[in-house]
Amino acid sequence: MAASALPKRIIKETQRLIADSPPGISAVPHDDNLRYFDVLISGPEGSPFEGGLFKLELFLPEEYPMSPPKVRFLTKLYHPNIDKLGRICLDILKDKWSPALQIRTVLLSVQALLSAPNPDDPLANDVAAHWKENEQDAMRVSKEWTAKYAK
Amino acid sequence: MAKVPRSFRLLEELEKGEKGIGDGTCSYGLADGDDILMEKWNGTIIGPGHSVHENRIYSLNIVCDASYPDQPPSITFLTRINLPCVHPTTGKVDPSKLPVLSAWKHNYTLETVLVELRRDMATPTNRKLPQPVEGTNF
Repeated sequence: MAASALPKRIIKETQRLIADSPPGISAVPHDDNLRYFDVLISGPEGSPFEGGLFKLELFLPEEYPMSPPKVRFLTKLYHPNIDKLGRICLDILKDKWSPALQIRTVLLSVQALLSAPNPDDPLANDVAAHWKENEQDAMRVSKEWTAKYAK
Repeated sequence: MAKVPRSFRLLEELEKGEKGIGDGTCSYGLADGDDILMEKWNGTIIGPGHSVHENRIYSLNIVCDASYPDQPPSITFLTRINLPCVHPTTGKVDPSKLPVLSAWKHNYTLETVLVELRRDMATPTNRKLPQPVEGTNF
């Protein structure tokens, strides 16, 4: 039932995600809700999140792809664009969304955000201030949190 | 229809609550801004006018466990109140005595519950009930 009601586009995206997932990313739909995905992203090399495995959840709302997917981190991380509840400040998840984008592109962008924090467009203000004041020290905390939480 | 998972549903409710709901007589927010599971919430109800509750401020604890919103949240008054649906010594709201909880629907929200509780305070029988000293807690 659920599968037959699912738009073709979502089925195709899911199949491709499973058969050919981007490096360091996995996304698996829940059996009882095929619009709801468990996501794992590996911290990118050379970033303070390297070596960490980060858990996220992604949901495709009824309006998808006219509306963006909803995504949040479930693993704690110290990043200026991710808040304490795991909410992500990323333009393509908001006003820069386009139906030409996909789950795959969204997750690659989230992964890229880990490599390139943007403290000028912060969601976690205290973390962003730390980042701007002393990037070295902020990245040290990010590494600590990665080791502590992202196992 | 797409079934919105609990966490995204609660994030939506949180955002709505942060912006402020209705006329401001009911409000809610996360009890702990770090709580990634979003289980514990605070609610506030300003007592309805033309009742013994007028100008009183009621604080409540709201718990949304893993079954929310398939199941209703559990509600406990912190501020002392005399209301038939509220346990006289614990402050816990008895779901069987409040229709919004006993006939819970998936699309009801924390806002719905608070608005209905406030409405319950203003019913002809409840609005005149003698009340504990203002500002005392359970």
